[in-house]
Amino acid sequence: MRYDSITDVIGDTPLVRVAPEVHGLRNIDLYAKLEMLNPFGSVKDRPAWNMARAGLPDAVERGDMIVELSSGNTAKALAVIAAMHGLPFKSVTNRMKVPEIKDLLLLLGAQIEELPGQTECLDPTDTEDPLTRMYRMLSEEGNGYLHTDQYFNPLNLDAHRGSTGPEIVKDLDGRGPDHFIACVGTAGSSSGVAGVLREHNPAVDIVGLVAHKSDFIPGIRNIDEVNEVGLFDPGTYDTIESVTAQEAIDGMLTLNRRCGMLGGPTGGAAYFGAVRYLKTIDETLTERRNAVFIVCDRVESYMSYVRQRRPELLNQPARGNSVDTLTDAEIAAAATVDVAEARRWIAEARPLVVDLRGSFAYAALHIEDSVNIVDELFAELVHGGLPFGASKPVLLVCPVGEKSARFAALLTRMGHQDVRSLSGGVVAWRDAGAPLVRD
Amino acid sequence: MSCEMGAWLSADLYLRPRLSQYMGEIVQETDALLAMVSGLGSPLNVLVPRQIVDNYAKYREVYGKHHLGGTIYFAHKANRSSALVRELAASEAGVDVASLAELRHALSAGFSGDRIMATGPKSAEFLWLAARCGAVVNADSREELVQLGELLTAHALPRVRVMLRLSAFESRGVPVLSRPSRFGCHEREITDLLDVVDKYRDVFNLLGVSYHLDTIGLVEKALALEGCLRAMRECRQRGYNPFAVDIGGGYGANYLADQEEWERYTTELGNAVLGNRPPLTWQNHGYGLRVEAGTLRGALGLYPSYRPVAGERYLDELLSGEAPSLRRSLATLLLENLYDLHIEPGRALVDQCGLTLTLVEEVRTTSSGDPLVRVGANSRDISLEEHAVLVDPILVRANPAGEGTGRPTGVYLSGNLCLEDDLITRRKVFLPHRPAPGDLLVFANTAGYFMDFAADHALMQPVARKVAMFRDGGTWRWCLDEEYWPTKGSRA
Repeated sequence: MRYDSITDVIGDTPLVRVAPEVHGLRNIDLYAKLEMLNPFGSVKDRPAWNMARAGLPDAVERGDMIVELSSGNTAKALAVIAAMHGLPFKSVTNRMKVPEIKDLLLLLGAQIEELPGQTECLDPTDTEDPLTRMYRMLSEEGNGYLHTDQYFNPLNLDAHRGSTGPEIVKDLDGRGPDHFIACVGTAGSSSGVAGVLREHNPAVDIVGLVAHKSDFIPGIRNIDEVNEVGLFDPGTYDTIESVTAQEAIDGMLTLNRRCGMLGGPTGGAAYFGAVRYLKTIDETLTERRNAVFIVCDRVESYMSYVRQRRPELLNQPARGNSVDTLTDAEIAAAATVDVAEARRWIAEARPLVVDLRGSFAYAALHIEDSVNIVDELFAELVHGGLPFGASKPVLLVCPVGEKSARFAALLTRMGHQDVRSLSGGVVAWRDAGAPLVRD
Repeated sequence: MSCEMGAWLSADLYLRPRLSQYMGEIVQETDALLAMVSGLGSPLNVLVPRQIVDNYAKYREVYGKHHLGGTIYFAHKANRSSALVRELAASEAGVDVASLAELRHALSAGFSGDRIMATGPKSAEFLWLAARCGAVVNADSREELVQLGELLTAHALPRVRVMLRLSAFESRGVPVLSRPSRFGCHEREITDLLDVVDKYRDVFNLLGVSYHLDTIGLVEKALALEGCLRAMRECRQRGYNPFAVDIGGGYGANYLADQEEWERYTTELGNAVLGNRPPLTWQNHGYGLRVEAGTLRGALGLYPSYRPVAGERYLDELLSGEAPSLRRSLATLLLENLYDLHIEPGRALVDQCGLTLTLVEEVRTTSSGDPLVRVGANSRDISLEEHAVLVDPILVRANPAGEGTGRPTGVYLSGNLCLEDDLITRRKVFLPHRPAPGDLLVFANTAGYFMDFAADHALMQPVARKVAMFRDGGTWRWCLDEEYWPTKGSRA
């Protein structure tokens, strides 16, 4: 397959069957629409390109900036499109909740602007939603913007009406599925696809999935937030159900591990919601049916999302020489010296003084002739072995003598012969009036 | 459709208040509460001074966890009660005063000057007394610093500890926007401020820098704290030895007992504004939400009344978070730079310290069919609406077996002012029984800003009296707020 431009690769994604032994449905064939295989990595490639395309020639001529209220896949796709056309792109967001996406946007050359949080002493007259705030900003700063406006732009919906929907119908013998399950974000993909499916099969059952109210699932709005979306029309859906973040991760794991589909939590939510919903119908069926859900993007961007919610999934095996493996007895047995003893010892034995605090603090004030190896770096060094001779006297120093005692215990276990921890740390040193210097 | 509507009408959208153990006990003291209102009038504010010391201890635990030193100053503006300030004077807490009268009040409650921090806009008299008694002066601007320097010199006052308040910070990397503040200076202006400090080197003792941001956003606060660390470095480079960073207040409080109730209520509020269910508010007020072409626009202008991470837990979360460019936890950075941390919680420190009693004066049904309950108090006495906190009052029935009660009821609460908009809350409040005249409606957790911040004598209506409740042996006793001293009750 040969293409002239990467944007020509957008769309025509495969529809892949999920094996019955994975989902356990007896009478329903379940298909995944793999939108994650779009070139920029998500279902948003379609609307992003569709919304930006028409305005691009003018924008390029004037050097306009593309702006969008997005902290996710739409921003990602628009960032690529803007960069390809030599245009700047700005993403305005309440909060970047997925750090990997934020990094990727910066890598692509996007600008990010984070809006202020809610006031603590509430001003009830300040009732601007982020979108209104952004509209005002755009109008204040004059022209020079191409605002794609994904939550209200009909071109978002049209992208799916023109491609995603017809692709599904074509792949299912021109009739389309009996059930379509979609997560509701901008409502673009669910409404756009639903419209097409209904034209081919008026009996099609459309299920919209929203996030559980107190949960965050990337790319899905919760039951209240959907009401703020211009493209959202509750009449589109026969049923609206909610999915929790934990359920989304469960679904994602099944897709990843059992289906070989490396979808992210949004796709996971769609799979989980689909199977949960279809199970209730499956038992009553006497004829075969089919159902489609969308796998919206890939898993790789959500490692910190998973780490936060299911840290056990990403547990690394413990590394050698780690303070985490110390027993309380070992820590208690670590050699410590108080400030007066430490000063005498420094004068007599000239130990190597290692200051484990951050470089910002060290640069401001430290014990004379000490060496700064920040704790994280020091931990990294000792994983591999002793970073200095086993007989060289060493005084470890941290803020209050807690971390230094642990490292002293660890070094002793590793065979160091004379390592001591400054008890009470730099705080005690200062309180005792001992000299601190700045170089 | 009508059947569905009926189901909605009968749904009890409670927003039940969170009650501490003390508050739970006090609302059970029905006879005492009714007698107090009968003797002292409605509304009546009740304070539990013991609670503020318990709250203080919880903040101290967070300090301990992070090995940090420094002072916790109570932001006096949250409540004018003498009992609270006197009780705190008996602890190790400090007090943050923002007016001459608050300063005098703190001094008279037993605070020595060295435990007082003066913040906010300051008159010459306020500055003089702050300097005279040895309070820390947290300076808002270059002009105030100059005024203070001149005052100290002219009146031969002792050396004063000063802090420099900053309010705008450079974000490194991704821009983080914050609302502009009228207090404090931009981080860039620290050089100018230090020029003034240089000039008054003999009369100033530079303690450090401070900020207070009016936001619940942790990201903005982390950025500000890191900016303060840079400013502290600048102070050191100019030859000073500052040792404290003051991060102000804004830790918030959780008003509600149940997250589910809050989520259900706010969802239904949106539905009511959309017209999908009968109104939940007077005239279908949207609290900031409005409908445009079938879509909900605007933003819910409400305090997050259910807030799982509030108070000392919020402080813990802020301190545990990483500084945006120095990439270490903020607590670690403070600690390893040998800085003390000063904080000024207001609302969060008086969490669960007080409640407001109101007498039900009249119950009637409006022409549109809604029950309207008038209480002996107005929306300035209980400024829940002004602060947009949604929480139900507790019904204390004078005669539990009497008439006018029975099934759960949704009612509107009106106040005692001859003004159309004097509603205690614009919300329809669901109560387990229909109230009757003579009953009490008890508003929980009003000590932080809802008692006396806005109360006035409009229409010559009385301003609520305050009483302090304390435990003596196993029983709850009370006295007028001004009669309360930490010698009252049993300390156990």
